Amino acid sequence: MSRLQARQQSRLSILAGIRGTLPRLCLAPGENPPLSLCFGSLPVSSALAHCFVGARFLPATLITDDPCVADEMSLPTVAWSRTGDVPPASQWDISGEFSKRITEDFGVSIGEDWSHIRQPGAPTMQGFGDLETTFQYQLLKDRTHETAMLLGLVVDWGGTGSAAFGTSYSLLTPTYYFGQGFGQLPDDLGWARPFAVTGQIGYQIPTTSFIVSQDTHVPQVLLYGASLQYSMPYLKSEVKDLQLPDFINHLIPIVETQLATPVANNLGNSNVTTGTINPGVIWVGSYFQVGMEAMIPVNRASGTGVGVIGQLHLYLDDMFPKTIGQPLIGGGSATPAKPAF
Amino acid sequence: MRTPIRIVSLLLLALGADAACAHAFLDHANPLVGSTVRAAPREVTLSFTQDLEAGFSSVEVTDAHGARVDAGKPRVSANTMRIGLRSLPPGTYRVRWHVLSVDTHKTEGSFTFQVGGP
Repeated sequence: MSRLQARQQSRLSILAGIRGTLPRLCLAPGENPPLSLCFGSLPVSSALAHCFVGARFLPATLITDDPCVADEMSLPTVAWSRTGDVPPASQWDISGEFSKRITEDFGVSIGEDWSHIRQPGAPTMQGFGDLETTFQYQLLKDRTHETAMLLGLVVDWGGTGSAAFGTSYSLLTPTYYFGQGFGQLPDDLGWARPFAVTGQIGYQIPTTSFIVSQDTHVPQVLLYGASLQYSMPYLKSEVKDLQLPDFINHLIPIVETQLATPVANNLGNSNVTTGTINPGVIWVGSYFQVGMEAMIPVNRASGTGVGVIGQLHLYLDDMFPKTIGQPLIGGGSATPAKPAF
Repeated sequence: MRTPIRIVSLLLLALGADAACAHAFLDHANPLVGSTVRAAPREVTLSFTQDLEAGFSSVEVTDAHGARVDAGKPRVSANTMRIGLRSLPPGTYRVRWHVLSVDTHKTEGSFTFQVGGP
């Protein structure tokens, strides 16, 4: 799951409904807080694994997650946006994430983010969010049909962040991820074969349902997102080599969206959905990728104007194939199979 | 911003002894992927972005009915793999490859080319 992103968006979704209670939650009476001060910040994320399924390569996406475990690191992911407050607060988010395969099909990730928010007439806020860990298990990789499925549990550890950006309670988010390449389309639709979709859906459960001191319910939140991508590397190597410039052949244009909707224990609050739609592009190399996307809020509660997010993502399994790029268990002893068609 | 850069630099430095290789992507092919050639080629050449393990890399070429039309064994040299072809009549042919880069990363793929004009 797009850990940090999901946490932040779910909080945004919460506060969009209970904005009137924010001063009671975390500010002194009379202060006019940026929306994201109390519950976190707008989308910034480190994404997880890059992913090979047959001939299909699914890159690490920026605000959602791809459906594979891998050894990799997103460092840094940097985002700038403006909140939905009046006047809007300017927000920077910088995050990093390290992902490690324990076995070939099981991996663990750890991530952290740092945010800086400045609103005209209000004090500048900055600090770390709660530490996040994710446990993921690879359910399926179907090479022939370019299909991948993954199950994960995202844990945001309450009490590990700063006073401004952390929470006192933890968040548990069981999440299902999928990816599907269109490589099985017939040859007369060859132009469409480089398309692929990925998606995820998670249900976020806080370890506290009610904050007594603030007289506020902490809702359970549905987190869902998807990406539609067009792989120029796939076009070149699987469909038609148009002999385009090498730089173009490494690009994957993409549109991502990540949304959060409170669905339970949201008494007294609205159920407004928040999130962004992100068009952008990812350049894919042999050892790393670089991605850049615009962040377009889906509504007023999700932000003001267009933000931007960028990420450098390192493929540790390619950079260090004999050390940290191997699963901790069973990685070094695996004997490659003789190819069979 | 300097702190993350330093952390990455230190990590790369600490692990620098681990010679980097990567997944082998198909860089280009002859005949070109998806191309139409007038004269039947005598072999298919695949060039990859990484060197290959010869014993664990292979390629086959089939016609529209799935029948093999390649001849002999694949020949691997560094990042290039070749396989000979029988005499090909006009038609559509599929090349399926499966390689192991020298750092044991596996990749695979397939593409078609046509012999003769429409």
